Amino acid sequence: YYTHRVIEDPEWSLATVPHLTELCLQHIVHNFEKNPILDRLLPEHQRKVLDRLSTGLPLAVTANLISDEDYWKRCCTERWQVCDISNYGDSWKRMFFERHLENILKCFIPNTTDPKQVLELIPLCKDYVWKLEVDQFLPPVKVDQKEEKDDLSDTGSDFGLGEVSTHHYNLGVLITALPHLEELHLTYGVKDCGMNFEWNLFNFTHQDCCNLAVAVKTCHNLKVFKLTRSKVDDDKTRLLVRNLLDHPSLVELNLSHNLIRDKGARAVGKLINHSRLETLDLCNNQIRHLGAQALAQALAENSTLTSLNLRLNCLEDKGGEAIGHALLTNTTLKSIHLGSNNLSEPTAVLFSQVLAQNTTLTSINFSCNHLGLDGGKQLLEGLKDNKALTEFDLRLAEVGQETEYLIHQIVWANREAARLGALQHPPTKPL
Amino acid sequence: REALGEDAEPKVAEEEEEQRRTHKQIEESRQRLAKLLFDGTQMVTNIQVAADLRETQRRAEEAELKLQRVEKLENEAKSSTYKFEEITSKWALAKEMTIPQELWQLLNQQQQQCELLLEEKNKLIGDLQQELKNKDEQYVQAIKKQSDDIYLLLERMEEQIRIMLKTYHHKLLQIEKAFELERRELLDNNRKKWEEAIQAHNAQELEYLHARMRKVEEFEKQLNQLRVEDEEEYNSMKIQLENDVQNLERQLQQMKAAYQLNQEKLEYNLQVLKKQDEENTIIRSQQKRKLNRLHSLLNNLRTKLAKQEKQFREENQSLAAYCERITGQCKEVQRRMRHFAVSDAEKFTEVWLMNEEEAKGLMRKALDADRIIHTQQLGLPWEEPRYWFLNNVGPLRHYKAKRMATKLAVEVLTELGSGEGGKENTAKVEDRVTPLRNISKTTVKKILELVSDESGFLIESKLLRPLHALGRHERTLMKLDSIFAALEIDSEDDLYQLVDFFLKYKAQEVAVSQLPKFAKGQGCGQLPGGRWQLGGRRWWKAPCPTCWPSLQSQGSPGGEDVTNLAEDREDGGSSAQRDELKSPRSLLGSLPSVYIHADDVLKILKAFVRDFHKLREKDGSAKEVLQVRDSSKDGEYWEALAHVIPEPTLKLWDALAVALEEYYEVLTRRASLLAEAAVLQQQNSELCLLLEEYVSSGVNSKLLSPPTQWMDLNLSRPGEAQ
Repeated sequence: YYTHRVIEDPEWSLATVPHLTELCLQHIVHNFEKNPILDRLLPEHQRKVLDRLSTGLPLAVTANLISDEDYWKRCCTERWQVCDISNYGDSWKRMFFERHLENILKCFIPNTTDPKQVLELIPLCKDYVWKLEVDQFLPPVKVDQKEEKDDLSDTGSDFGLGEVSTHHYNLGVLITALPHLEELHLTYGVKDCGMNFEWNLFNFTHQDCCNLAVAVKTCHNLKVFKLTRSKVDDDKTRLLVRNLLDHPSLVELNLSHNLIRDKGARAVGKLINHSRLETLDLCNNQIRHLGAQALAQALAENSTLTSLNLRLNCLEDKGGEAIGHALLTNTTLKSIHLGSNNLSEPTAVLFSQVLAQNTTLTSINFSCNHLGLDGGKQLLEGLKDNKALTEFDLRLAEVGQETEYLIHQIVWANREAARLGALQHPPTKPL
Repeated sequence: REALGEDAEPKVAEEEEEQRRTHKQIEESRQRLAKLLFDGTQMVTNIQVAADLRETQRRAEEAELKLQRVEKLENEAKSSTYKFEEITSKWALAKEMTIPQELWQLLNQQQQQCELLLEEKNKLIGDLQQELKNKDEQYVQAIKKQSDDIYLLLERMEEQIRIMLKTYHHKLLQIEKAFELERRELLDNNRKKWEEAIQAHNAQELEYLHARMRKVEEFEKQLNQLRVEDEEEYNSMKIQLENDVQNLERQLQQMKAAYQLNQEKLEYNLQVLKKQDEENTIIRSQQKRKLNRLHSLLNNLRTKLAKQEKQFREENQSLAAYCERITGQCKEVQRRMRHFAVSDAEKFTEVWLMNEEEAKGLMRKALDADRIIHTQQLGLPWEEPRYWFLNNVGPLRHYKAKRMATKLAVEVLTELGSGEGGKENTAKVEDRVTPLRNISKTTVKKILELVSDESGFLIESKLLRPLHALGRHERTLMKLDSIFAALEIDSEDDLYQLVDFFLKYKAQEVAVSQLPKFAKGQGCGQLPGGRWQLGGRRWWKAPCPTCWPSLQSQGSPGGEDVTNLAEDREDGGSSAQRDELKSPRSLLGSLPSVYIHADDVLKILKAFVRDFHKLREKDGSAKEVLQVRDSSKDGEYWEALAHVIPEPTLKLWDALAVALEEYYEVLTRRASLLAEAAVLQQQNSELCLLLEEYVSSGVNSKLLSPPTQWMDLNLSRPGEAQ
């Protein structure tokens, strides 16, 4: 009897035999690349297949077939350590494709990398890309080779030579092929260059600017456009603005950390009243009082802009006063940043008037200016009857601790009042 | 429940309090957290602000340095250009130099100066490079500083995050604790409430249970009672029903017996009926046989009938022939009668003429005497009296018969047309017409005019054309003439008949309108009594069932055959005619101004023509009648003849005689009586003779009332006087 059992394989049991469905699913998983079957399966089987699929499958197979979030989550987490899904509309698939495309663009070297690499990806990812955030554009290889050769030579001699051939990848083809694109964050520069630093690496050429401007113009769904740290000067600003005039959906424009001067500022001022811009960031440029006056003039007539950032410019009192005058009539702007602008008492005097009159402004930043004690007192005076302002930054503005404290008290009270008001309007009780 | 409600109120208050407590806790935590968050952000952003400040400061320094550098460079450029110019100016001197030593010296000098210039430039470059190096170092330092800052920033952020997490955790725990506490309290409270409620509920439930038990018992009792009652009732009911059943069974038995009886009866009846049926079949066969027999009999009779009919038809034919013969005989008799009448008339006229001659002679004599008397004795002018009868020769009837219808018409028309033109004619006509017929002339005239107007179709077309040229009166006459010719109206009588006919028709119509019952069935051509009889045969033939009963009652008092009646009618026609003709006339006299509608004229004429021919057939009898009637006028005629001397003349004569007698007496007195007496006797005898002769004349005796009777007196007187 015992031997008999041995012959019959004692470990045998029905449980060890996998189901036929299991086998089939396994087969499907193994041959998914050649024969992708997913839609025709039952939901539970789909689930199983998706759980087992390899993340290394070519995108051509998976991109338009699989919409399951878990699969794309696996793909993302395997590829990148940090994954903040909230920046990508809570969609793992979108995150995967956006970041995948960004990586390819970051590593794209003109004249060396095959442009098909991008073009092939377009039909796969066009339905899932809403935002492009590219903070690096590599210059052509020639320059690299030159750079390598001239590594030891004088840096000055490179200036004239690389000019012709330092055009970057033209985004026009890609951008026009992405129908859902709403945000575009670009930085023409090289990251992590370390000791290989060359001015050449950071050259946003006129041709690049032309290509970009035309591409942006054709992209009608674009809402947010950021072009930072790219050495955008007055001419390029004007070129961009000319193409962005009367854009149907652009809401936010960020040209911070560039080389915009008064002329560029004037062009941007024109753009304010010829578009639906709500947020404008021009921090760390070289705008002086003329540019500020042009912006102020536009601001006085405008009724869409809600946020304006002019940090780290050189407006000085003339520009500050011009903007103050504009804010006396403007009724839409909610937030303004005038930090590090070499402002002093006259601006503070005018802004005390603004604070007394304006009821829409909720946030003002005067940090790193030389308002002085009297200026601080003037502002305190103007703020006494104001109930709208909830943020008022006066750090390092030489207004004196007492004034700062008092202003802080008022702003804090205003903030509490605003919070209660917001609570009352949507009547949900906090518990 | 009330207890619960009471409990709830303080609970609610407590709850609110609790809520407030938790709320307070949350608010506090929130404020603390906000503060913490604000401080944290402040701390983090401080770094950025500091960096910004540094940057601005650096920029300001940079700008200053740049200015200095630019100034320095400019100064240097200026001085170097000055020196360079100096050198270049010396080059011009050098060209003028001819002495080699001087030139060498100058060249040396120049070299030295150039070196100086270059040195200066190199120094500047060195300075700038030095500055650049410094800047590089500064850049490195700045990078280091920035990386430090970033580290610091990261540190602070991490710390901030840690603190925030901790505090959030802490606060969350606190809030949770507060909630837990609150919940526990609430739970306790609710449990307490619940238990109380449960206890109350249990007590109530118990109470309900007891009540229910009690009720159950009660109901059970009631049920028992009801059951007993029902049982009794049921028993009684059962007994009653059983009795009923027995009764019904008995009745059933009875009914069954009756049924049996009836069945037997019915069976018996059935038997009887069957027998009867058999009998009936026998009878029926018998009847059938009888029927056949009778049928054969009927056939025999039919053949007999046919035979008889044939016989009767033959008989009838023979009778008809006989009748024809009789009528022929009758006609013969009539003809003979007419012949006799004619001969009688001739005789009559002869006698008449003779008598008349005689009478006229006498009359002439009388008249002569009268004339003599008048002319000779009285000396008055004498006019011969003109009486109608003076010119009359022969019997009166002759004269009238000769008169033509047209003439009469002419008379009537002219008389009326010309008013009182011919007095004689009028008098005559009036004399003649009025006594004869009571019809007014106007009526006659109207009728004639109507006839002439309406029956123009009877006039020949040839005549019509010239007629237009004539006057109205003549035209009417001409027309009438031709119409009469067409209608074969010759005599006066015919004309009168026509007029009569019209009037009768009218009267009949009036009668019809008076008796609408009669008019209903008869239509427009209907005629009353006599008129009706004249056209008797015709009317009989036309089937007129509605008028039958009236006819029978009128014409045939007995229930005779139709044919008989018709014959009767025919026979009685002539005799009745007179009466009938008269009676309507009198009737018509009262309606002289009857209006005859123009449309009716044709109908009337048609009827008239129909009847007129029948009248003609009976001419003989009609003539006879006319002659007999004339004899009455003869008396008058003769009387008139007798009285040819009117009464006043006679009176005159009497008076004259008296006067003459007186005159004679005077004469006699004056003359000799004898002579005179002799003369008188002689005269007297003469007169006597005359008288005797006159009286003894045969004519007088013939007359019914001889005029001599009283004329004798008149004649005798003068005679006697004489």
